[in-house]
Amino acid sequence: MASPSLDVLLKGNSSRNVRGLLRIIILCTIAAAAVSSRLFSVIRFESIIHEFDPWFNFRATKYLVQHGFYKFWDWFDDRTWHPLGRVTGGTLYPGLMVTSGVIYHVLRFLTIPVDIRNICVLLAPGFSGLTALAMYLLTNEMSSSPSAGLLAAVFMGITPGYISRSVAGSYDNEAIAIFLLVFTFYLWIKAVKNGSIMWGTLAALFYGYMVSAWGGYVFITNLIPLHVFVLLCMGRYTSRVYISYTTWYALGTLASMQIPFVGFLPIRNSDHMSALGVFGLLQLVAFADFVRGFVPGKQFQKLLTAMILIVFGFALLGLVLLTVSGVIAPWSGRFYSLWDTGYAKVHIPIIASVSEHQPTAWPAFFFDLNFLIWLFPAGVYLCFRQLKDEHVFVVIYAVLSSYFAGVMVRLMLTLTPVVCVAAALAVSHILDTYLVASKPSEASETKPTADNNQSGLRSTRNPVVGVYSYLSKFFISAMMIVYLLLFVSHCTWVTSNAYSSPSVVLASRMPDGSQHIIDDYREAYYWLRQNTPANAKIMSWWDYGYQIGGMADRPTLVDNNTWNNTHIATVGKAMSSREEVSYPILRQHDVDYVLVVFGGLLGYSGDDINKFLWMVRIAEGIWPDEVKERDYFTARGEYRVDDEATPTMRNSLMYKMSYYNFNSLFGGGQAVDRVRGARLPAEGPQLTTVEEAFTSENWIIRIYKVKDLDNFGRDHSSAVAFDKGHKKKRATKKKGPRVLRTE
Amino acid sequence: MRLFAAAAVVCGLLLPSSVVCAESDLSSTRVQLPNDFTPPQVFKNLNLLRNTNLEKGYVRETVDVVVENVDDKPQREYYLPFPADVFGKIGGLEVRDKKSPEKGRFDAEAIETDSSNDINYYVVQFPDALAPSSQITLRISYSVLSSLSPLPATIHQSEQQYLAYTFSAYALSAYPVDNQKTKLKLPSVNVPDYTTTTGLKSGQDPERQGSVYTYGPYETAKVAPGTQYPVTVRYEFTKPVLTAHLLERDIEVSHWGGNLATEERYWLRNNGSQLEKQFSRLEWTVSTYQGFPTSALRELTFPLKPGSVDPYFTDDIGNVSTSRFRPGKVPNRDGSLELRPRFPIFGGWNYSFRIGWNNDLSLFLRKAIGSSGTYILKVPFIEGPKNPEGIQYEKVVVRVILPEGARNVQWETINGATSNGLPSLSQIHSELNDHKTFMDTLGRTALTLTIENLSDEARSSELLISYDYTLWDGLRKPVTITAGLFTVFVALWFVGSLDVSIKKR
Amino acid sequence: MPRRNTPTPSSPSPASPAAPIAASSPSTSTTSPSAPLSSGPTTLKANSSPVEIAQHVWHQYLASTPQRTLLLDAFMFFLVLVGGVQFVYCVLAGNYPFNAFLSGFSAAVGQFVLTASLRMQTSAETKDSKPNSKGKNVKLVAAEEGETPISHERAFADYIFGSLILHFFCINFIN
Repeated sequence: MASPSLDVLLKGNSSRNVRGLLRIIILCTIAAAAVSSRLFSVIRFESIIHEFDPWFNFRATKYLVQHGFYKFWDWFDDRTWHPLGRVTGGTLYPGLMVTSGVIYHVLRFLTIPVDIRNICVLLAPGFSGLTALAMYLLTNEMSSSPSAGLLAAVFMGITPGYISRSVAGSYDNEAIAIFLLVFTFYLWIKAVKNGSIMWGTLAALFYGYMVSAWGGYVFITNLIPLHVFVLLCMGRYTSRVYISYTTWYALGTLASMQIPFVGFLPIRNSDHMSALGVFGLLQLVAFADFVRGFVPGKQFQKLLTAMILIVFGFALLGLVLLTVSGVIAPWSGRFYSLWDTGYAKVHIPIIASVSEHQPTAWPAFFFDLNFLIWLFPAGVYLCFRQLKDEHVFVVIYAVLSSYFAGVMVRLMLTLTPVVCVAAALAVSHILDTYLVASKPSEASETKPTADNNQSGLRSTRNPVVGVYSYLSKFFISAMMIVYLLLFVSHCTWVTSNAYSSPSVVLASRMPDGSQHIIDDYREAYYWLRQNTPANAKIMSWWDYGYQIGGMADRPTLVDNNTWNNTHIATVGKAMSSREEVSYPILRQHDVDYVLVVFGGLLGYSGDDINKFLWMVRIAEGIWPDEVKERDYFTARGEYRVDDEATPTMRNSLMYKMSYYNFNSLFGGGQAVDRVRGARLPAEGPQLTTVEEAFTSENWIIRIYKVKDLDNFGRDHSSAVAFDKGHKKKRATKKKGPRVLRTE
Repeated sequence: MRLFAAAAVVCGLLLPSSVVCAESDLSSTRVQLPNDFTPPQVFKNLNLLRNTNLEKGYVRETVDVVVENVDDKPQREYYLPFPADVFGKIGGLEVRDKKSPEKGRFDAEAIETDSSNDINYYVVQFPDALAPSSQITLRISYSVLSSLSPLPATIHQSEQQYLAYTFSAYALSAYPVDNQKTKLKLPSVNVPDYTTTTGLKSGQDPERQGSVYTYGPYETAKVAPGTQYPVTVRYEFTKPVLTAHLLERDIEVSHWGGNLATEERYWLRNNGSQLEKQFSRLEWTVSTYQGFPTSALRELTFPLKPGSVDPYFTDDIGNVSTSRFRPGKVPNRDGSLELRPRFPIFGGWNYSFRIGWNNDLSLFLRKAIGSSGTYILKVPFIEGPKNPEGIQYEKVVVRVILPEGARNVQWETINGATSNGLPSLSQIHSELNDHKTFMDTLGRTALTLTIENLSDEARSSELLISYDYTLWDGLRKPVTITAGLFTVFVALWFVGSLDVSIKKR
Repeated sequence: MPRRNTPTPSSPSPASPAAPIAASSPSTSTTSPSAPLSSGPTTLKANSSPVEIAQHVWHQYLASTPQRTLLLDAFMFFLVLVGGVQFVYCVLAGNYPFNAFLSGFSAAVGQFVLTASLRMQTSAETKDSKPNSKGKNVKLVAAEEGETPISHERAFADYIFGSLILHFFCINFIN
């Protein structure tokens, strides 16, 4: 790839067309690199949907493809949240599913038989290629140097902060949302620059698309008004700002209200009020500006004062009235947790229990962005130096998103684009200064970084003539190149090692180095799918709800759409209580099977015992009298599963189901839990109200069947005791009937 | 070698009489009979020997019967009765002249009668009418599916499994039988229960010899035809009773790629004893480790044709990583695909999956001699797993997808001297339709063959398809795509050159 | 006053009276404002009351606005009325089909801002020289698209485009 393009470059050094062509080729290469670096998981494993949420999106997409758009819109899903059901059509962001549905139908129209699963798997990489292009456009608006755009595209294409959410198979809203985010920003910048209704309308359209795709649209909803507001404060009001903003707001708000899940939020929710406020403010400013044309300065000031007083009086009155009467909803809980990281832990454990809602650890920034993170301030500084309208935008964006990224791991995603822009500005500035200043060499500069090819650089670096000494030029640019190369290798390493695991399928190494695939999840889910009645209700912790819905195709009690805290707490209570307490809960909710994840045999740390405290906490939030977190800790405040575990812990359904029969696997020896490194009590737990129905090969998934009421009307513990005693006497005669612990 | 055989059959195929034209609907040839129908008593069975083989998960019966025409006119219709509950489970029925099997099978058709009738018939057409008081020895072979019931119906996970088979000691016949005998071949010597008959013959009945049980011989000249004497054997069968209630098999021919792609989709079920309690992984691990026999399905082995490549094994939720493929060698060594399902399949459990692989087309396709555009395709009718316990298919749908534009499609199964496990052609429902894929304009011609009640005996059967396919048909797709792209470019160029700008001019 | 705060967001705002207007592009002479500011009826005293100023502005406005722009302004005023009536109805008679109210109201508002934008773009190209002087960056390859003042035809096409989409959404939303 490198040598022919270099040839073209050398021959057509002066030709603008060649440069344009070269740029297109480079962009295509970048897009290809962005796509291919996300395919690790497909190559290493298979074309499979990853993790948790994507399974729901996948299932919804299949529903959409099967039943058509209108059915999808009105979809009431009675196979989740049993017995409540979920108005799925009205409670999801349909953009993702509709996008892949459209792609599917287009391909079908061209009679290309592509499995909908493959579309879903490859959607995220495909859109990441588009994101790189959008990034190029956006950065091009920021800088006069063409290399900045290309660099930004490269950074965006391979930075791990974005790859983490867009590897093949991670079929989540973010997959397309980041593209839409960047592209909406691009259109917005374009609109502000041109002051054209068309660009504003396009920005609004893509904003609408963004709203349909991701809840993070609120970020745009607040960022753009803030940009306008800052511009106004800086005295930079022009008709272009008015045109672009009002067009964007009027159309964008209407567009966003088309999504049932968003509905009336844009006029009710406080999250959206800033946009409305700026809209009103802009009308006033525009009017004032208009009037100013007719009157001399002194009188204008007077008029302005009068006007402002009146308007603010009305606005304040209206706002107070509306808030008091409850028309405008107060800020949502997730929003509060943005400002106070401790808020969620205290008030909404369900939000805090989601791993991606945790505050970001510092190393994560470096891990996800590598050297971009320290170029980022430099880039922002460069923006300050120019500070045109679009640079103001970048500065605001940078400030806001850095804060948010620090609060929630998930929002690292919104930080990534601006980091890429800023870093690209910085790098291109350095390179423009220290490399030959002629354009083609810059164009070629980004190219080899994308291709990880250094030979092209040397040749362009040779004819250096300029005011700086050869040595410092060489030194600085060599350093930059080394950093770029390090960045590329870091990205590749992170992508292949950290972000390419489907988490449904686990990989381990055999002693001889070959890869061994641990496929327990699918084994158990497929067993459920094949060998249980189609209406068997499965209870599991909510993490696995979407997977059960997607892979096992069975109704679940709770899933990753955590809309009903009480219901989740009910499941938490059933898991954390004694069997006698849990059994009526299970019966009330028609539960047929209970599924737990147990990593003790294999040393798989993401299992339910490790998540158990969250269940306890969430249950405690609803039933503080019946479930107490303190009871699950030993006297010394330790969370233990071995001999010293508290009785509450050892009698909880979760504990029993996890360790049931685990002892006998070790023959006579003492069972060892490899996750927690604990030696388990010599006597394993006994289950009376549920029975083991299936356990996967490595014991990761254990499925229990909830027993029916006893035929003779006994309670289950005595029934089991009776059976046991009976059998023991007849068959082995080794011990007397075992006395069951009844508590 | 195979190709010569194919060519030889091709010559036979081209004779008009042996060719089935795929366009004609064959299912309407069934004869409707009145409710109280009894076959005319024109034959007498002199001697009847029934071999019942229970070594696999289904029943395989071979009946050798000497038939004499007792009428005064030549007769050619021989009626074969079956009880109504068994009738729907008969698969692969084949009737031949035992003395000259190379003459091929006789045509046998199911007769539709009222469902309330408890005896239903197949009618066998002799190719040459049997002259009065002359004899013919028929070999009738068929399999009976899903007629073995596990007893007890639920067992413990590591217990032995027993199957029970109930049949009549007197073979059911529409005509009087002078002498008859039934030989029962069981898979093991562990036979806890079997019915001992009384008063049918002198001496012990049945006679045991290892795992072979012989009922009879009986002198039944005086017994009215249709008399039954129910007999049950219960024997150990600690193997899975595999049933595929549907097998869909797609064979796709691509002239361009020179590729023959095969995909098979199975809906499997183990019809053995169900688990008395729930499944215990612990016990399963132990018994696997010690290699005990089990009624659960652990592994399936698919022998694939030599030269098969790129096999895959997936199910509804993705790839199953536990498979092993040993490629074969092109002349004659079969490859083998060993699959381990995600979980062991115990009695009553289901498992559905799909497998597929590719072959070099040139090993299966030939151009017919002396014709310009006629091709002959010879592929196995079904392949499927090969294992000692056998497998039964309740319904098999074979779809052969021919290249786009293939016309004049005719098909035939190879009918050699030995049984091929398939029923006669009239039992196979065929259909031609279009299958659109990969930017087809017309759609590919797809020949769909539907057949019920097959067993793994049919593994050896082969399917021959001839079709016309000209050079233009082969060129159609590239030409269409080129034209399409060209149109798009022209349209783009045209739109691009239009000045739609609304700026000031 | 509150009623007045909506109608006419400005664009012309030429600081010095006649000179910039004269510099407007010749080919679109019909819509460019022809009357300079100085032709207004009276000049204001420095300490006149806001009401007086408002009256002054009104007269200035009537005098200086060309026919076409007046038409646009009338349309905008009409939209304000429509929106106001809907709002009053909603407050008084209840907002039962909230969707319908919202789409009607936002159709009015949206059309209003679009028309205002159109008015800004058409009534004076001169203002585009101002941002230029403020320092728009000069793009390398395709500078002309962003920098030249938007022609009336282009502005009108944009307006149509925006309006079409606006009304599509409204109709979709109204149920």
